[in-house]
Amino acid sequence: MSSFVYYKFKSQKDESRVAFDGTGISVADLKREIIQAKELGKATDFDLLILDPATDEEYDDSHIVPRSASVVAKRVPPSRPGKGKAAMYVTKVGRPESNGTPPLPPKERPNLLGQNTWSRNPGPSTKRYDSKDTGQEAQ
Amino acid sequence: MSDSPVLSVTLLGAGQEVGRSCCVLQYRGITVVCDAGVHPAYSGMASLPFIDELDWSTVDAILITHFHLDHAASLTYIMEKTNFKSGKGKVYMTHPTKAVYKFLMQDFARMSAASTDPLFTPLDLSLSFSAIIPISVHQQITPSPGLSFTPYHAGHVLGACMFLIDIAGLKILYTGDYSREEDRHLVKAELPPVRPDVLIVESTYGVQSLGSREEKELRFTGLVHSIIKRGGHVLLPVFALGRAQELLLILEEHWKKHPELHNVPVYYASSLARKCMAVYQTYIHTMNSNIRSKFAQRENPFVFKHISHLPLTRGWERKISEGPPCVVLASPGVLQNGPSRELLELWAPDSRNGLIITGYSVEGTLARDIVNEPAEIISLKGNTIPLRMSVDEISFSAHVDYSQNSAYIEMVKAQHVVLVHGEQSAMGRLRAAMQHRYKERDEDVKIHTPRNLETLKLSFRGERVAKAIGS
Ligand SMILES: [Zn+2]
Ligand SMILES: [Zn+2]
Repeated sequence: MSSFVYYKFKSQKDESRVAFDGTGISVADLKREIIQAKELGKATDFDLLILDPATDEEYDDSHIVPRSASVVAKRVPPSRPGKGKAAMYVTKVGRPESNGTPPLPPKERPNLLGQNTWSRNPGPSTKRYDSKDTGQEAQ
Repeated sequence: MSDSPVLSVTLLGAGQEVGRSCCVLQYRGITVVCDAGVHPAYSGMASLPFIDELDWSTVDAILITHFHLDHAASLTYIMEKTNFKSGKGKVYMTHPTKAVYKFLMQDFARMSAASTDPLFTPLDLSLSFSAIIPISVHQQITPSPGLSFTPYHAGHVLGACMFLIDIAGLKILYTGDYSREEDRHLVKAELPPVRPDVLIVESTYGVQSLGSREEKELRFTGLVHSIIKRGGHVLLPVFALGRAQELLLILEEHWKKHPELHNVPVYYASSLARKCMAVYQTYIHTMNSNIRSKFAQRENPFVFKHISHLPLTRGWERKISEGPPCVVLASPGVLQNGPSRELLELWAPDSRNGLIITGYSVEGTLARDIVNEPAEIISLKGNTIPLRMSVDEISFSAHVDYSQNSAYIEMVKAQHVVLVHGEQSAMGRLRAAMQHRYKERDEDVKIHTPRNLETLKLSFRGERVAKAIGS
């Protein structure tokens, strides 16, 4: 983990950073790191955008952010209500990180939405992204 | 161009949803934000309004209507973690709101300290707290040239107010959560003496009718009584502050009238509620005549005879579960975690027990789903628990229902009505019903239901602009 990319949410004063190996990180991976760091994985009601700090233009997921660069993150309402894409980035499985360890599932927290799952009416909104669903054995 | 005579209304939250109220008003270069809440179904950053949309250093004033988390709990974050303080913005709330807010946010900070990335620290809280300007109802405040506002009583909870805002001559009434029915301790919402151009109003209950207070209270006390009689425990999940105090007043009175209940304990399992009881006692002068006259006769209505605080010492849940019938008010009302959830999991399998939901249940929370009486619930640990206890819903949440809201909207007589703080379907029905009423009378009133970040731009006729320039 020798490289860093710096980010701050558009309304934030202070920057945070994401560590990785190599000369750059894809926007998709960066989103996953931010979503995990900020424990945003279970919220279904927003999309996360990564913007060029100079132009405010949105980077697409395949764009590579070079190390030591700064970007701006932004939470916006999802394009379809209740269908936010945050969870998508943290459930992508079978993509080992460059240091060989699989990505950790977001830690189970008692006060998050996913807890009220009903055995009788499992719907899309009750999908849980805990260790059972995103099991480390998954490829 | 920031100085154009168009009012923009942008909801950073509570647009076609209930939760994280945050409404941005921009007119003639002045920016006012009404409320700064969190979404009760989420935690951490995901619970914040869409604050990335605004340059917070440009805000002239943030006005907080009441202490409920969905209206006030993102304020600390906004004041300390954005560039708000590099601007000239001021923050206002009423004296009782500020007093309760302090305890509430200390609790909130403690709860979120368990998170790996808490939104703010206790230090952030104390830094921002001293910068909040406490105000009194009916006091006219002028934060900056061209901007003034006056708070009016909103009912709902202690200290709650609506704001009549004047930006360069344009008048906007923002109701926050409000109630038009006097309850045991609060006055009902007032009608400001001037006719605003724009009304921004809550729509929580849409076109639903809630029934009279007397009827609800009878049903409530009757239900509590029958659960006790069948040997059960009564669980009342409530937000620790606000409506809980009204329920305590109702239960105290019922117990007073029924000596056969005197050996049945009523507990509130919240140290936060205990701490804030002093605030309630301090602000009796802001409450209604019922409470004030009792106080004048040297009786303090918030000193209870039949209700006691339950300290949450180790193993308390088991202890009272194994004990005789009792009534417990426990937070949170949404049943997502904490004392109310723990009791629910213990009591759910026994059909003698009863759960009564008394608040508005936000979409995405267990309190919302459990009223459909599923056969089972999943515990926080992931086990399946059969749900055999009775489940009832009686709303004491002190929001206006359809008849009260529609009557109020008509009395205010604003040309534009913006519905906020309601789910899409509830809001849609209310809008349709109001449009129908106005159409029948051939009145031109526009009803808007913007989604989050869907900026509404309103322009006003020439004379309004001319007046605004002259003022
Ligand atoms: Zn409220
Ligand atoms: Zn509210």
